[in-house]
Amino acid sequence: MSEAKHDIIIPDIIPELERGPLWLRQKRRFSREAYNDAPIPPRGLHLWRYTDPAAFVVDRTTSSDTAYHDNYDVIEKVELHNLSEGHLSGLVSDFGGREIRFHGFDRLRDQGIVVTTLSEAVERYPGLVERYLYELVNAGVGKFEAMNGALWNDGIFIHVPDGEVIEKPIHLLREAGSSDSAQFPRALVVVGQNAQLTLIDEYGGGAAGNGSGGSYSNGAVEMFGLPDSRTRYVMLQRQSSVTTSYLTHRARIDRGANMLTIALSFGGAVTKQNFGVTLNGPGAESNMYGLLFGSGNQHFDNHTIHHHASGQTRSDIDFKVVLRDRAVSAYTGLIRIDRMAKSCEAYQENRNLLLNLGTRAETIPELEILNEDVMCSHGATIGPIDPMMVFYLQARGIRHQEAVRMIVSGFVSDTLRQVPRDLQERITGFVTQRLEHI
Amino acid sequence: MKNRKAVFSFSDIHVEVEGKEVVKGVSLAIAPGEIHAIMGPNGSGKSSLSNALMGHPGYEITGGEAYLDGNNLLEMEADERSRAGLFLAFQYPLAIPGVTVANFLRAALKSQRGPEADMSDFRKLLKKKMAGLSIDESFATRYLNDGFSGGEKKRIEILQMSVLNPKVALLDETDSGLDIDALKTVAAGINQFHDETKGILLVTHYQRLLNYVKPHHVHVMIDGRLVKSGGPELALKLEESGYDWVGAEAGLKAGA
Repeated sequence: MSEAKHDIIIPDIIPELERGPLWLRQKRRFSREAYNDAPIPPRGLHLWRYTDPAAFVVDRTTSSDTAYHDNYDVIEKVELHNLSEGHLSGLVSDFGGREIRFHGFDRLRDQGIVVTTLSEAVERYPGLVERYLYELVNAGVGKFEAMNGALWNDGIFIHVPDGEVIEKPIHLLREAGSSDSAQFPRALVVVGQNAQLTLIDEYGGGAAGNGSGGSYSNGAVEMFGLPDSRTRYVMLQRQSSVTTSYLTHRARIDRGANMLTIALSFGGAVTKQNFGVTLNGPGAESNMYGLLFGSGNQHFDNHTIHHHASGQTRSDIDFKVVLRDRAVSAYTGLIRIDRMAKSCEAYQENRNLLLNLGTRAETIPELEILNEDVMCSHGATIGPIDPMMVFYLQARGIRHQEAVRMIVSGFVSDTLRQVPRDLQERITGFVTQRLEHI
Repeated sequence: MKNRKAVFSFSDIHVEVEGKEVVKGVSLAIAPGEIHAIMGPNGSGKSSLSNALMGHPGYEITGGEAYLDGNNLLEMEADERSRAGLFLAFQYPLAIPGVTVANFLRAALKSQRGPEADMSDFRKLLKKKMAGLSIDESFATRYLNDGFSGGEKKRIEILQMSVLNPKVALLDETDSGLDIDALKTVAAGINQFHDETKGILLVTHYQRLLNYVKPHHVHVMIDGRLVKSGGPELALKLEESGYDWVGAEAGLKAGA
């Protein structure tokens, strides 16, 4: 990544571009051209100031896609157990799109709920898929979104019909291949009127940190919340420490719809993530929680967007960052309120806790408020743990390390409370593990 | 000098804050069972003294000695001082967001008792102690001091003392911000804690707490020094006549 990379063109004749019906092939080709035509974004450009875009340029033809990480079986077993215990509605194991397994969806199918591969959905639900796929994440968003648009293979499609409620989460386990693999996962989720869904979207795997080439993943997630729907989306990044990862998430929610987005980031070497929700009808509400814990040499770059396209909408973001060792994080949070969108509420908070010298955090709030009738606030803090807090705990006999652990655990506890039960233990484990040897 | 009879003693303590000397050679010995009060006007250095003795990183002890039950206090970190049996009830307790009162106290008690200690009695103990201080049970699951009123924070400090059961308690302006009912409750908590083995040092501006917690010895601190000592009657005289006369007697300016 340190040496300058040349742009790599997606060739004209590759199998990905030949998949699916004509409309899809056209969209893929359009995406390919957009990718090839777009320059690598210059470093000074908005959203690229903190991360070198060359990291995300990859030659798919040299990628091998064979082996998977050993610990995958362990995690699948844990989640299969969660499934059998009734903590999950269904489990999908997605091996970089090369193999996708579905566990426990019989009951949901009886409810009329569709959970299938994107390639199958294209054939079986052409109307729905054509209408929504590429609607939010497409070549217009950026070069790397165009890359996924051309190369995704395969992905997940979920449709919850109007009025259907899925109580327990559907869990996607998306496993990146080992050394030198490249994957382009994609998901399309449509939650019908008055319907409810909790989706856990977990990105794991990737090369082991043993000197072999790192793996690469470029994901796209599109979600639609129809009127009065309730959707909970939990993203977990726990890829290996040599994985380069790019993810663009976009959701659009209609009148009276509610969306809760929880982004949990622990893994990856270089991770750039972009979460966006458009509030498209009165009464729509979006809440986002971010929790990022970086260690070692990890580099994180996150962007969130709350776009109030309609009046009488409400959004709230609470993005928390903890860094240790030499980890780096940049957070850019955009609130956009359209000119015609009256009586909106929008809040944003980004707090960064730096556990030692050598870490670095940036926070950039961006407010584009084009309407005066709004309630809006944002806040950001970057700093070490308050030594007075540590002293207070020590004054009660608690040792320094333990005091630091308690304060950091307290810092993240409100976010952890939002995490669905089947994940909670593992997430707490990630936090605890990263607080060792402080 | 190490005072073998005292449960807590310090001599010729000097304290600096940001390079400025605020405590200028203070000595005191507290025998088991004794309650001492240090009174003084604002800015006299009495809070600095108690914070420095606890090991507050903002207060540097530049001279003197302190012994707690025979242990050399000044060689210890704050957590070691606590485990040795010292407790400071803070004047302005900090909020610790995300850490509940119960979890905080469990961790604190566990660190006092040791990692292998049996904690099965903790819930019962906490419940009993909370009831004794008229603290609603719901506080156990609230984040420590987060959004608590001044009076609630002071009660929680006394609760911590009561649960941790130290040998020596320094109470820094524990009466400030309390209404009369809360003051009585807190005083009852202190009296309940007190027995013939404990040492207590009350640091206070006003005499009113001393109506409910009877000190054996009262000391007046002005400009970083203890300038007068006496029995409980001294506190009453200070209440009537203020601090100026003590200062004048000692040839010092009493300050604010």
